[in-house]
Amino acid sequence: MEVFLNWNFIQELILSTIRMATPILIVALAELYSERAGMVNIGLDGIMAFGALIGFLVSYSTGQPLLGVLAGAVGGIVINSVYAFCTIHLGAEQIVYGMAINIFAPAIASFLYKIKFGISSSLAQATLMQEMPIPVLSSIPVIGKLLFSHTPIIYLAYLLVPLSYVFFSKTKAGLNYKAVGEFPKAAETMGIPVVRTKYLACMICGALAGIGGAYLTTCYISTYSDGVVSGRGFIALSAVIFGRWMPGGVLLAALLFGFTDALQIRLQVLNSSTPYQLLAMIPYLCTLFVLAFFGIKKAGPAANGRPYFREER
Amino acid sequence: MKSNNKFIKIAVPVLAVLLSFLVGAILIACIGGNPAQAYQYLFKGAFGNLSNFGETVVKATPLIFTGLAATFAYKCGVFNLGAEGQFVMGACASIFVSTTFTGLNGVSLLIVSLLSGVIAGGAWGYIPGILKITRGLNEMIVSIMLNYIAILFMGFLYTGPFRDGNLPQTAAVTAKLARFVGNTRIHAGIILALVLALVLYYFLFYTSKGFQLRAVGLNQTASQFNGYPVKKLMLLSFIISGAIAGLGGSVELHGTQFRLMAGFGDGYGFDGVAIALIGQLNPVGTVVVAYLFAVLRAGATTMQVGTGLPTSVIDIIQALVIIFAVAGSAFVNLPHIRQFLANLSSKKAEEV
Amino acid sequence: MEFLKMDGITKKFGNAYANKNIVLSVKEGEVHTLLGENGAGKSTLMNILIGLYQPTAGEINLRGEKVKIDTPAKAVKFGIGMVHQHFMLVEAMTVFENIILGTTKESSAFIKKEAMKKEIRELADKYGLNIELDKPITEISVGAQQRVEILKALYRGAELLILDEPTAALTDIEVIGLFQIIRKLTAEKKSVIFISHKMREVLEISDRITVLRAGETIKTLDKEQTTATELANLMIGRELVTSEYSKVIQSGENVLELDQVSFNSSSKHNGICNLSLNLYKGEVLGIAGVDGNGQSQLAQLVTGNLVPEHGTVVLKGDRVSNFVPKHFIDSNVSHIPEDRNKMGLIGNMTVKENLILKSTEKPTISYGKGGFIRKRAIKLFADQMKKKYDIRCASLDQEIRNLSGGNQQKVILARELEEVPEMLVAVHPTRGLDIGATKYVHDKIIDARDQGCGVLLISADFDEVLKLSDRIAVMFEGQILGIYSGQNPPIHEISLAMSGKESERSSSNEIK
Repeated sequence: MEVFLNWNFIQELILSTIRMATPILIVALAELYSERAGMVNIGLDGIMAFGALIGFLVSYSTGQPLLGVLAGAVGGIVINSVYAFCTIHLGAEQIVYGMAINIFAPAIASFLYKIKFGISSSLAQATLMQEMPIPVLSSIPVIGKLLFSHTPIIYLAYLLVPLSYVFFSKTKAGLNYKAVGEFPKAAETMGIPVVRTKYLACMICGALAGIGGAYLTTCYISTYSDGVVSGRGFIALSAVIFGRWMPGGVLLAALLFGFTDALQIRLQVLNSSTPYQLLAMIPYLCTLFVLAFFGIKKAGPAANGRPYFREER
Repeated sequence: MKSNNKFIKIAVPVLAVLLSFLVGAILIACIGGNPAQAYQYLFKGAFGNLSNFGETVVKATPLIFTGLAATFAYKCGVFNLGAEGQFVMGACASIFVSTTFTGLNGVSLLIVSLLSGVIAGGAWGYIPGILKITRGLNEMIVSIMLNYIAILFMGFLYTGPFRDGNLPQTAAVTAKLARFVGNTRIHAGIILALVLALVLYYFLFYTSKGFQLRAVGLNQTASQFNGYPVKKLMLLSFIISGAIAGLGGSVELHGTQFRLMAGFGDGYGFDGVAIALIGQLNPVGTVVVAYLFAVLRAGATTMQVGTGLPTSVIDIIQALVIIFAVAGSAFVNLPHIRQFLANLSSKKAEEV
Repeated sequence: MEFLKMDGITKKFGNAYANKNIVLSVKEGEVHTLLGENGAGKSTLMNILIGLYQPTAGEINLRGEKVKIDTPAKAVKFGIGMVHQHFMLVEAMTVFENIILGTTKESSAFIKKEAMKKEIRELADKYGLNIELDKPITEISVGAQQRVEILKALYRGAELLILDEPTAALTDIEVIGLFQIIRKLTAEKKSVIFISHKMREVLEISDRITVLRAGETIKTLDKEQTTATELANLMIGRELVTSEYSKVIQSGENVLELDQVSFNSSSKHNGICNLSLNLYKGEVLGIAGVDGNGQSQLAQLVTGNLVPEHGTVVLKGDRVSNFVPKHFIDSNVSHIPEDRNKMGLIGNMTVKENLILKSTEKPTISYGKGGFIRKRAIKLFADQMKKKYDIRCASLDQEIRNLSGGNQQKVILARELEEVPEMLVAVHPTRGLDIGATKYVHDKIIDARDQGCGVLLISADFDEVLKLSDRIAVMFEGQILGIYSGQNPPIHEISLAMSGKESERSSSNEIK
């Protein structure tokens, strides 16, 4: 028991909670921006996988993890524009097409990796992003190390939360954006460009989900392997539901899921006698329980997931 | 009109496949390969001789099961993304039965074991179903989470209680499905799969319960207003879908793999989803597409050996098929395209 | 001075003309009515004017200049505003947020609440539009929502205001208030296009009237030089034959009794509060009332789609304990639901399949319970229905979503009435249908009544209720405010009840 109360353990736990929550947070925000414009995208896992690969490749080739993250964002946008075109213009069902992306994107990622590194089984290693302690703040005892000595991506992720809050609640653009997800026809009659907003939403979603994927291979582990995403996209999806489509709520949900992930890793380290598989189930089980007990009631945008055609009679 | 509809339903996936092969050829040319030669190896690998043909059938068997599982759930409007978990749990149950009830003789052990797979898969499908109809949870998220849990659980089994020897794997099952075509690995599982597909086809399109199930899948509100037990049907379809996948896992264990080890069932769930969607949610279409996927998988290795091109070229073709097929189905359903096609067929009717 | 001129407007959907060579001119400061049946092309024409649809041919002139309106944003810029029949309000937002949505007046990216609110209030006071800015849309009445819509248009600088069926959802007293607002608008040199088919209102408020029929302009007339009969004849294209149905008085057996039934009773618009009523065999009981006073909930309660929170429902003498649609269907209750596409039909299934939706387990349709379907018997049945109910479709294997509204409704009628129900719940049975189809539906309902079926008719169309009902019950905020005889009904008293007798004084204050 005393191991758990050990300060070192707690500190490590908090630090890794923050790190583990980051990809979930970024990708959940991606989904938030998408769904606020009425686009349910369950292809997050796929976009993340592609972002993870592109991020890794660029970071590996240039030695610049930050460039890798940027490239991951671009990759995410490219993949998600397939989804955007087919759902917005062709009116494909969003759920079905999201699923298609989940199958398509990882296949491309895996293909590109094999083209680059051949079929050999040895894993290529890239450099991980350096931490960038924030001057002054990082020297505050205790808090400084926990909160202000991270990679830039982590700061970006957490900064996006208040920014998104301001955007959705305080700006005209945010209000217009939300109207597209609630009642696109009304938005259109108010002069809001619905189709453009939906495309924009998909671009934002692709970029953020791509960054979330790239985070995994540039800040978290230094290799790429198929299945590196391991369902984080779906956990992010539940974070949006659990967070009630609000940036603050999404942050809390991401932290919770990040915490369970961190906890199971810490427990694996401490407790080698328990089979690791049982511990590794914790984040997934936790997602299920959280959803089952708190994730009910439809609270999402009213026109979420519905196709929109201007000239529909 | 109906024949026209049917024609489109077949034309879209066929075109999607052709288009994917075309794009695949371009891709192969781009990375310095010879597309014609590559495809030649691909089909040689799939059909070249009896044992190659056998391998494609062996590979198609589990895909038919997960494809049917996905088809059945989607027909009732529930998105079961958990076929992989159900497949794995079915196999886990079978391992448990096979290693525990050793007193039974071959055939009865096999039957009990397969049944246990059905039950375990059904139970694993019950969870997202019941959470959806009672708590309104998104079944996709739940079933995905259950996939990861099932895979970890299987890992626990073959590294822990059921580990056999030094390698992380279970002992081989003793009761095996019969092999019946020469010295190929084709086993009785394929017959089970085909019979199941036919049964499902007749159930969905020729019985009134199947009719109700499809109605629920197309319009829940109207089904409710017309007196169908919507929630019950949704739960039922989830359980049956899970049971089909579970049987698939059990069959794969008893027919092909014989033991559980890392990678068992890997990707079968999502492939099943893709197969169902490309097969236009029709059990017969599902079988055809599952076979196509198996051809691609079996031929890919031969192609890699023959040309040095990575097998993932084939994965891309497979992924493109779904991208094109789904986009194509949506395209022909666009209001003005639908109108155009309807006019086309009514003109044809006039000419006749 | 001429403000708007639409010339030669044509719009095709597929092969069908929704508008054909339409001409419409609107002067500054006038109220110009567009008169026409459902499907005459009014909505299409207006959607073209506000940039939602693109015309296939024709041009639009504003103040003598040719303009191209290819997006709704352009229409807003040109000073054209529209109040849609189904309001374009975002329910998850407040009145204020709905009004400022999409505006580009202020360059600031942030919402300057106080300054904007002040401006909106001034505008509202000028035209006598009484609204509460901070309330969520869901908490204000339909009349208030309409005022929000008008204010929305004015805030964007509308010079021409299109009002699409603005009185359909209003009580008589609210209509008076609306007309006062319209007069203030025209006094300020704003033009109004008024869309309606209620003659009395049209003749009261319009300066000129343009009649559309089957997508074409028939005639434009001055109000002074026309009469209601002339307009009606122009609109329908032939002499109006009003079929009169004989009224019956029943007092025998009840097919349905509701006693003190409540559902979601705190809601004025979506609930039912201590409601009691009875329905005799062989009569039509019409429920009159403005949409959104609990009629939907009533219909769903007596078909098993909702479960009452309090009170009892007695069907054919037995108290209902099992509120599922199947129980009601098995008790021979038929239902023409309010939204045929959402609740009545399965759009992706064929006409044939939709005809047997309710009878899949009947021995004539399938063997055993839920067993194999008898395909041949179904085809025979569908062919019969097609003839008997005059369902016009290319093939019975056609997907039903491709049929016109009238033919879709006929499929529902065939399904619901073929086996002579003991009770029929018909909700807005003729909404969106043209006059021919409407008459057909009315005839069928009366036929059913004459065969002993108790009909609960729920309709927002007061004329329809008057025409068909043997008794009329008025529904207001989830309660029955009075039951009147269908023979020579006291129309004035009923319309007062429809606006809530007791609240008469308070609601007239609200408008002032």
